[in-house]
Amino acid sequence: MNRALTRISLACLVMFVLLLININYVQAFQSSTLAGEPENSRTFSQQFLIKRGAIYATGDGGATVIAESRLVKNGGGKYQRYYPEGPTYAPVTGYDSVFGKTGIEEADNKYLTGTASSLGLHNFISLITGKPTQGSSVSLTISPKAQKAAYQALLSDGGHEGGVVAIDPSTGAILAMASSPSFNPNAFATLDTGKLAKVSKRFNAASNNPLLSRATQVTFPPGSTFKIITSSAAFSTGTVANTSSQVPAPTNLSLKNGHFLINDDNGPCADGHPQIIQAFWLSCNTAFGALGMRLGGATLHKYANRYGFNSQLNVPLPVTPSVVPRSEDAPAFEAFTAIGQYNDKVTPFQEAMIAAAVANHGTLMTPYLVQRIQAPDESTIQTATPAPLSQPVKPSVASDLTQMMIQVTQNPAGTAYLTANKSVTGGIVIAGKTGTAQNGVNNTNLNDAVFTCFAPASNPRIAVGVIVKGGGFGAAAAAPIAVKVIQAYLGKS
Amino acid sequence: MSDVTSSRATFEAPAVPDGAVPMPRNRRHTELLMLAFSVVVVGFAYAAAGLGLNDKIPPSLVVYVGGFAVIMVIAHLAVRRLAPWADPLMLPLAALLNGLGVVMIWRLQESGRGGNPGSQISTLTASSATTQLIWSALGVVAFILVLAFIKQPRVLQRYTYTLGAVGLVLLAIPALLPSSLSSIQGAKVWIIVGGFEIQPGEFAKLALAVFFAGYLVAKRDVLALAGRRVLGIDLPRARDLGPVLIAWGASLLILIFETDIGTSALFFGLFVAMIYIATQRTSWLLIGFLLFLGGSYIASTLFSHVGARVTAWLHPFTIANLNCQIGAAHCVPSYQLAQGLYGLGFGGIFGTGLGHGQPYWTPLAQSDLIMTAFGEELGLTGLMAMLLIFGLLVQRGLRAAIAVKDPFSKLLAGGLAFVLALQVFIIVGGVTRLIPLTGITTPFLSQGGSSLVASWALIGMLMRISDTARKPAPQPIQDEGMTQVVRAQ
Repeated sequence: MNRALTRISLACLVMFVLLLININYVQAFQSSTLAGEPENSRTFSQQFLIKRGAIYATGDGGATVIAESRLVKNGGGKYQRYYPEGPTYAPVTGYDSVFGKTGIEEADNKYLTGTASSLGLHNFISLITGKPTQGSSVSLTISPKAQKAAYQALLSDGGHEGGVVAIDPSTGAILAMASSPSFNPNAFATLDTGKLAKVSKRFNAASNNPLLSRATQVTFPPGSTFKIITSSAAFSTGTVANTSSQVPAPTNLSLKNGHFLINDDNGPCADGHPQIIQAFWLSCNTAFGALGMRLGGATLHKYANRYGFNSQLNVPLPVTPSVVPRSEDAPAFEAFTAIGQYNDKVTPFQEAMIAAAVANHGTLMTPYLVQRIQAPDESTIQTATPAPLSQPVKPSVASDLTQMMIQVTQNPAGTAYLTANKSVTGGIVIAGKTGTAQNGVNNTNLNDAVFTCFAPASNPRIAVGVIVKGGGFGAAAAAPIAVKVIQAYLGKS
Repeated sequence: MSDVTSSRATFEAPAVPDGAVPMPRNRRHTELLMLAFSVVVVGFAYAAAGLGLNDKIPPSLVVYVGGFAVIMVIAHLAVRRLAPWADPLMLPLAALLNGLGVVMIWRLQESGRGGNPGSQISTLTASSATTQLIWSALGVVAFILVLAFIKQPRVLQRYTYTLGAVGLVLLAIPALLPSSLSSIQGAKVWIIVGGFEIQPGEFAKLALAVFFAGYLVAKRDVLALAGRRVLGIDLPRARDLGPVLIAWGASLLILIFETDIGTSALFFGLFVAMIYIATQRTSWLLIGFLLFLGGSYIASTLFSHVGARVTAWLHPFTIANLNCQIGAAHCVPSYQLAQGLYGLGFGGIFGTGLGHGQPYWTPLAQSDLIMTAFGEELGLTGLMAMLLIFGLLVQRGLRAAIAVKDPFSKLLAGGLAFVLALQVFIIVGGVTRLIPLTGITTPFLSQGGSSLVASWALIGMLMRISDTARKPAPQPIQDEGMTQVVRAQ
């Protein structure tokens, strides 16, 4: 019988080998297919069972928690996201909900959940040591001082609709990204899907659109702040030699389609032949409109692109591209383009980039939000390295632009003298440019207030872009907000 | 324990005296060492499950693992006394599987309880693991009783037909009882008496293995030799086909009346394998295989519950099947199978670690689908290790069958080892979607007393046969005083 027993042994061997091959197939090769099955409840509930990494704001040197996961009491080991100062940081953190994510929660999700491939070794070690997989923490360049000041300033005077962005010009580190109206991301952190559906419906139906970040996702007309770009093109091409060169500034500038462009006060700019620096601090439309016509739409388009217009940027949050259309097809509007009207569209983010480039001697550093990613054992996974994005203008041109922008706030006739001069700011010299953009059908809506600036002018540490929708004059509505952010960041409040 | 003591052993290198047969070692120390290893592995698994659930080593660790260790040491001492020459690996392997089963049941019972992660499993109570540990003790009692009362496996041959009748009655009882006393979740394989649930099929398996062995040893010559040769295959005589047809018919009846495909396949497979071992005629395998295919085909067309298993096997992930209720018209329930597979995939290669997975999604993760819970939390690596433990256990059983001289014992050991392998294949193949899933217990692991006691009784039988095979024949005492052999034991 031993021969038959040997064969039966072989049959048993075959059965076990079949089982082994099959489990190898299921667990090693089919694993991701099974995870992707729509009805797989494990994949769905897994997200609540791992401790998602915290998000810190480290722009002031410390580490302020702006998002963290907390164990739900009697929740069976489930974690819930908590945002200590929800609305202030909402445009940065976004939210993490059962159904979806936004902001950094979405952009760096794979690090926060600990599933990024660069974390493979860490995960393997925690597997061996029996520790549950934890997410990595993400440290942002955001300065809590600047961020809080920006959001509080937007809320002041009954609340504005608008956005504020602050950037460190020498590195590109984003210091603040505030938006109003904001929302509380804690509302989305609920694990109750019924409740979440209601919250989601309510926010999406809200007419003031609180989920939209005015800092990065909404564009406004740049108004006169675009004159920085027109000036950049004029100096760089040699059309205007230096800041004291005279430029024509008629009362009525005739356009190619027979219409006229006028100044805000309906009069001539200075004597009709101001120095460009004077036209700049007075913000004369006809002077820069005429310059735009001399430079041509293509040149304006080119210099705007150097400052970051018309291209998508991920910081890693996607920033809606600001737009300067090519105006060959509508040459009559070159003058409008040059003063930031017609179809120019800009985000507060782009405004901050313009000031940052000028502040950094004409070199625009790539803006970034994530300073460092750390594994649960505190070892660093990734650190930001500042890198230039482009060089819009030469250092000499940047210096000319800085001189002109200082006059805007320091010359008693400058548009922002009343709200941003040295005595108002507590000794900080701000270099800036105001913008008051008409918009709406036949310009019937309230003007959007725009202000772009950097400070201190001699040794710039912060560049700020502010847009307040319907705020009226840039100097009156937007500049004070920028001043508060600068004061908070530089510690002179 | 020294095996051979001789007066020359102290000063001469070869310890074995000239002309004396070396006394083989009985390896009981090896068994104790391996058993200690099994207990340690179980202890660590228990601690790991506690740490995984709530970062605490469970306070009940001492009671559970201590109790488990005591049970296994008693089993070991019984083996030393009752079957000192038995295979040294079977007991540690069985103990390891049993212990891991208790750990997994504890882990599942704790799920969602007392603030632990996961949701509570309604089919488990806070004392399920304790109950399983008590059943483990009863299993070891059965193991010891088998060793104590069956001193020679041959003795069983006397009760061939008695045990055959007992086996058939045990199989038939659930079919004859009203559903309220015999049916749990669609399978009519139970005897429910006063809150106790007994699965007589588990014991019938053992009784029938003895019956088959006795019957086939008696009839093997006629089954092996008589017959005609057709197309190169030795066909048996028509009247000799009787026993195969009876076994086939009985297995079909189980299928019909007890809706228990797994037991039916197990029962028929056992018989075919044993008739092959007895006769060495390939034609029996062929006939058995054809009958199985034919029976399966007929069953799957005639009985909806058989066909449903096949459909669920082919299409486990369709939304309709996942959400299907038992008895619905245009779908087959596949939720359990799919959840088990999701769990296996979720575990991947290294597993989530004990306590870190979500096996509570899988219905009956503590019984039929317990291997998917192990696959989820211990991963592919852990699951392969557990299959190898089963494989080793089967291999030790087959080794005993080959070693033993008496044909009845040989046949019985071969049958028991094969039925263990087949049972593992049917259930593990079922839950991993190699073959259609049929409800059947996983030996030593699944929650449930009948299965555990029957599995321990099976190991008791195999160890008794192994002891018989390895026991050295009595040796004549050497006549030279100088070289007299003195047994240490």
